[in-house]
Amino acid sequence: MNYPVWYLPEIGGGLLIALIAILHVFVSHFAVGGGLYLIYAEKKGLRENSQAILDFTKRHARFFLLLTMVFGSITGVGIWFIIALVNPAATSLLIHIFVFGWAAEWVFFVVEIAAAFVYFYMFGKMDHATHLKTGWIYFISAWMSLFLINGIIAFMLTPGSWLENGNFWIGFFNPSFWPSLIFRTCIAIMLAGVYGYLSASFTQDEQVRTAMTRFSARWSLAALIAAIPSALWYVAVLPDPAAALVMGKSPTIVTAGQWGAAAAAVVLAITLIVGFVRPSLNMKATACTAMIAALVLMGAFEWTREAARRPYAINEVVYSNMIFKEDLEKINSAGFMHQALWVENRDITEATQGAVGEELFIQQCYACHTLGGFNNDLKALTGHMSHKALASYIGKIHQIRYFMPPFAGTQEEAAALATYIATGVHGKVPPAPEEQDNGADPGFGLFEEHCASCHDSGDLAPATEALDQAEIVTMLATLDEISDEMEPFEGTEEETAQLAAFLYFLNERPDAPGAAIDGAEIFEAECSACHAPEDLEGVFDAMELTEIHDMLDTLDEISDEMMPFAGSKEEKDALSTYLRSLGRAN
Amino acid sequence: MHLVPTADTIPVAWGWFQFLLLLTFPIHLLAMNAMLGSLAVGVIQHFKNDETGRKLAHRIAVMLPLVIAFAVNFGVAPLLFVQVLYGQFMYTSSVLIGIFWILVIPILIIAYYGAYLYDFKFSGLGAAGKWVGVFVLILLLCIGYFFSNNMLLMTLPDQFAQYFQNRDGSMLMSGHPAFLPRYLHMMAGSIAVGGLFVVLLGKFRADADPELAERAASVGLRTFFVMTLINVGFGTWYLVSLEKAQMMIFMGRNMAATASFVLALLLVIMVLVASYKKRFWPTFGATIALVYLMSFMRAWLRSDLLSEYFNLGQLVVEPQYSPMIFFFVCLVGGLVCVGWLIAKTVEALAKEAST
Repeated sequence: MNYPVWYLPEIGGGLLIALIAILHVFVSHFAVGGGLYLIYAEKKGLRENSQAILDFTKRHARFFLLLTMVFGSITGVGIWFIIALVNPAATSLLIHIFVFGWAAEWVFFVVEIAAAFVYFYMFGKMDHATHLKTGWIYFISAWMSLFLINGIIAFMLTPGSWLENGNFWIGFFNPSFWPSLIFRTCIAIMLAGVYGYLSASFTQDEQVRTAMTRFSARWSLAALIAAIPSALWYVAVLPDPAAALVMGKSPTIVTAGQWGAAAAAVVLAITLIVGFVRPSLNMKATACTAMIAALVLMGAFEWTREAARRPYAINEVVYSNMIFKEDLEKINSAGFMHQALWVENRDITEATQGAVGEELFIQQCYACHTLGGFNNDLKALTGHMSHKALASYIGKIHQIRYFMPPFAGTQEEAAALATYIATGVHGKVPPAPEEQDNGADPGFGLFEEHCASCHDSGDLAPATEALDQAEIVTMLATLDEISDEMEPFEGTEEETAQLAAFLYFLNERPDAPGAAIDGAEIFEAECSACHAPEDLEGVFDAMELTEIHDMLDTLDEISDEMMPFAGSKEEKDALSTYLRSLGRAN
Repeated sequence: MHLVPTADTIPVAWGWFQFLLLLTFPIHLLAMNAMLGSLAVGVIQHFKNDETGRKLAHRIAVMLPLVIAFAVNFGVAPLLFVQVLYGQFMYTSSVLIGIFWILVIPILIIAYYGAYLYDFKFSGLGAAGKWVGVFVLILLLCIGYFFSNNMLLMTLPDQFAQYFQNRDGSMLMSGHPAFLPRYLHMMAGSIAVGGLFVVLLGKFRADADPELAERAASVGLRTFFVMTLINVGFGTWYLVSLEKAQMMIFMGRNMAATASFVLALLLVIMVLVASYKKRFWPTFGATIALVYLMSFMRAWLRSDLLSEYFNLGQLVVEPQYSPMIFFFVCLVGGLVCVGWLIAKTVEALAKEAST
């Protein structure tokens, strides 16, 4: 709100950050571990008096230089650029709190560059002891870069008691600092081994290829084993909400975890089979597979760390959408549009409602959601939700899904956002107020309000098929037993009964209110002149009963040849139920 | 209502950051100038197709990746300090030109790999090599273009409201009256200073290849002289393109800025005379002083342009000095390490040359 939002609705800033960041960390961790690898590879060549191994080391150093100096350095600057573009508020805060941490990191970056150049360009032109010292200067400064950046990144996840005292050192040496540092060092060493496979696989000399594949395998295996306790320690120091997200409450972490585990298994398998048992199998394809697996592993880790911080960019300080937690109360009472700097429409009128809703989307949702894009597409996620369901959901979004920031603003602003998503994005006609109040099924209203943010009513029919209404009432009182993500329904007894009845009648029941009227008969009388039931099979599958209901009122909009259905509400219900059953009977 | 975000607090008095910014920014400029200018000179030499020209182009190509690395690296520090002092303006302007600003990164990666290709495959590429050089040069000029856009826009908050017509970050300031003279002044200055870097490269090879050193000296100093002369014109254009209020800070409204301007003009005359007379070291020394002075003038101009909205004294200090001490300790340690690396490299190269 304090900064403008760089708005690319179909791309999304999150995807750009992920793209640059994951590629960067894959190279930058190699820049740390690979430095140590070069020293020990050179030592091995010297110890065994093997010019072939020294040549391998020099070739590896050249690859190392080209990858880390160019791609690694520039994508590092790239992360800085992209986070400042996507979340300038949080970036500015991090820059201001840790300016001298960043400045010290820059010093190590200078030393790193100078040492890397001297190491590569003076390979074989310096006495060995001095050359190895150059390697050590490189490695120590590269690791110090990791040390410093690790402090700041770990701070974002676990600011700890910095929240109370604002002390630089407390923030820097925060609760996840050490486990994260050890874990990342392990990853860096594992990557050194994996990149070693790659260089070895390109080596013509069979003996060197075998020797360096074995050598690399020891690095990967040791690092993979050492990473396990540090990862467990890492999870153990997380605050409760973040730990809960990591342990399964965040769907994105569950997916990332599966990918990460599979990738670790691939790296381990290649290390054991190719590295230790049969180094001759280290061909280019094998090494590239290990590289891809390591990239996926790295990506899964970073993705998990980022997602575990949700809904914050800096835990407990600023949300992903640049709204500061401390400002929330003020915004909720005064209104977001009156508190935010970078908005164009401040008052909600009939004319501005859509524009206000769009600005609210840009300012509050777009940080994580695209519109029609690859990442968290809000269009796809809200397609099944009505205006009422959205309005209700937006108001308690953070309670339902902890990892999403609370909506900041007044109820009118939440309604404007709901209108923008339902009408502006999905083209749904907002129901007129009288229509909402009269004639609508109160159970459906409750469903919209309490359940529709996660459930499509059609999907719930099988879950309630075998239950009677009393059993559904019991189930509503114990929803937390079905899933951690649900809370028991807390409506009044009457509301519980209404919701239970709605859920009960999702399935065809002999005692259904509309059962007395036969939808098939109405179809026969009103529609069959032009439509055969089999032609319409599946057409209404994706539609809610209310949507079919609305459609029957506006058939003339679909085709000039049709008239709106003029039957009673009960007849419309029956016809809607029948039409929907056409797709589901088979 | 001004669209200027609220600034974050700073841990030490703003003067420290201004000092560090004005200390490191000219170093970045010198490295950037060496990168861009020497490549421009190198490519022209490469096109000349004579042996010495080709050798000089090769020397420049060999140094190019190293110079890029340091130009980027020395850009990090001033970019950090300027964000501490003026973040609320710069983050905003960056978002407003977001598409172009992020393009700097892929363009730089391509240019950097192009530079390595130009270096490692200089002979192997044959006639195509010079076109690789031209390609890299165009990419670097492009990056300069985006930087000039951002640095200009951050000083013009009255333009920020255009965001509401361009939320996708596709704004550019190229149409602003001050843009073109500012950009040309910066680029022409880069080529001029790059000429001096070429002379320096030749001097390092004076013993091994006196012919190369001589060519480097004559081409480098001539480039410097001509480009500086042209740049007097661009500089004047830039000055008159400013609003009168800003122009006047160099003409009496701000005594320190005026004194710097006068001193800079004297130094310009001095470097023109010295370079014309082929006297390298006085030209080199005065140019470094000139780059520092012009950086100070640039800072005064920025501060004056933003004075309607903000001055550095408004930054709230929440004092924590120990991290700064930690930084200075790291800096000293880092300089010792770099010094040791340079000493050992020179020693090894001398030993290699003597054998």
